[in-house]
Amino acid sequence: MSLLKPFSKLPGLNTANILLVESEEQFQQSLADALVEETSVTVNVRLAKSLPLPMENDESRPRIDLVVFIINLTSELSFQSAEASLKYLDPGYFLGKVCFMVTNARNASSPAERLDAVRKLASSLHCPLLFAEDQTPDGVASATERLLTILKVAAGLVPIATALYVSNLTRCTLPLDIDLPSFD
Amino acid sequence: MGSMDNTAKRLLQRLVRRIPSQMLKTTLDKWSRLTAAQRQSMDYTESKWALTEKLLAICEENELTVKHIAELEMIHVIENPNLGMWYVFQLMDPQDDAHSVELTQFKEQFKSHLSELIRHVSIKIKKHTDEAVWIRIAWGDTFSRPNHLKPTYVVHYLQTPYVFLTSPTSKQKPLLSQALVLSTRYQAIKDANLSGRKLTAIRDLLMKQYLQVFPTKFPSPLAERNCVVSNLHIEKEQAGSAANRHQMACEAFGDGILPQLQSAVYKLETKFRDHTNKTMTERDEPFKCVVKFASTNLLESLRHSASSGVASTPVTPLLSSVPLKGKNYFVITDNGPGPSSQMKPSQK
Repeated sequence: MSLLKPFSKLPGLNTANILLVESEEQFQQSLADALVEETSVTVNVRLAKSLPLPMENDESRPRIDLVVFIINLTSELSFQSAEASLKYLDPGYFLGKVCFMVTNARNASSPAERLDAVRKLASSLHCPLLFAEDQTPDGVASATERLLTILKVAAGLVPIATALYVSNLTRCTLPLDIDLPSFD
Repeated sequence: MGSMDNTAKRLLQRLVRRIPSQMLKTTLDKWSRLTAAQRQSMDYTESKWALTEKLLAICEENELTVKHIAELEMIHVIENPNLGMWYVFQLMDPQDDAHSVELTQFKEQFKSHLSELIRHVSIKIKKHTDEAVWIRIAWGDTFSRPNHLKPTYVVHYLQTPYVFLTSPTSKQKPLLSQALVLSTRYQAIKDANLSGRKLTAIRDLLMKQYLQVFPTKFPSPLAERNCVVSNLHIEKEQAGSAANRHQMACEAFGDGILPQLQSAVYKLETKFRDHTNKTMTERDEPFKCVVKFASTNLLESLRHSASSGVASTPVTPLLSSVPLKGKNYFVITDNGPGPSSQMKPSQK
């Protein structure tokens, strides 16, 4: 089992590297196309269906600054795949370098329990949870913008701010009544 | 009282309702029961109701009967073979002279055999341009005249063992089978376990007229990886396994356009196997259930789920035998005793 480590490689100059993990491999492609359009920094995108990543790419792979798990809420498989992939990440990533992005949250065919499950997962790992819309160019653009904001911080390109600091403000929190039993 | 009885009128009404206005003209032209002047007088922009009234009047004038209206229906069905449900039957054990059966002989034989079996039956046989013989049968019984409102259509390609049927009832099926077997010089007929809404699609599937791919066509997944990289900054980590999945999906289903099937049904009569559920696993009798896959284009969907990784690869023989065996109904039983027996689609 090979863990993906956040600090095992040197960073590139003015470069941010993002890994998009999505079992369906649909949204990641359009996100990647939009992400590399960014001009102020060089953005490298790595696409994966699931973790662990193949060993043979280890050499060519740059330091990954941010790992994004894309979960399609209408598909149980998508959630399970993301959940199974999590254990191949070094714990260091969970200090602000992982985020979850869900799609189809408004879709009628996505059960509310699945969203709750994703929420619990994100909050237990202290990760931010983003909601995105993958069908329209506008949705892709705004998702890209939000990812870039987090990515720049995680790559250390924003003075003063660190990933750990920002994640304290952005991480997903559960409303208390979901987790705690009522005492009446 | 004119030549058109109630059935004829209802048949015509139903036909005009069913045929779209823009197609009505060509269909009537092919029918050739109207004079040129009568065809000229039809105004196809009018409502369906007005068109029906007009046609009824013309039919009365030309003294057409229900048989002529049936001809019109047949023309419409032949032109639109992808409406309705088709079931495939397969002829078995050809006799020595089966390959020399030609159209006129088949026509005569079929008609005489079927009318021997059932007294009131109306049969119409037509040869279509693509070698297909179309048969329209209106069934009656001992005391009633043939019911032209519920006909059965039979399509048979001479010199092939396949017969396509629409809506055969259990009462008519044995009669039809017997007439078919005798007139095609075969010895038996069986259900081919294939059905679909599109006649052309199931025909292509059976006669393998779609693009098939053989494993040798893909020398290695490397060729796939060498394709133009869209962007230097985007890299697929698992491109190799994606290409591999795609290749396996293509080996099972081909890489061209696939015949459109609407469903695949698996009837399971196997033992329940699940280590976490002891009560069910220890039962001796098989666990019966039916699994049905439905889609507007089933084979396309299966290929996509295999190549996108939703279904595991290599594609299970259960799925790949749909195009391979030309069937979409399977009964699955345990082969022999013991829990180690393999699940295999049985030859029903």
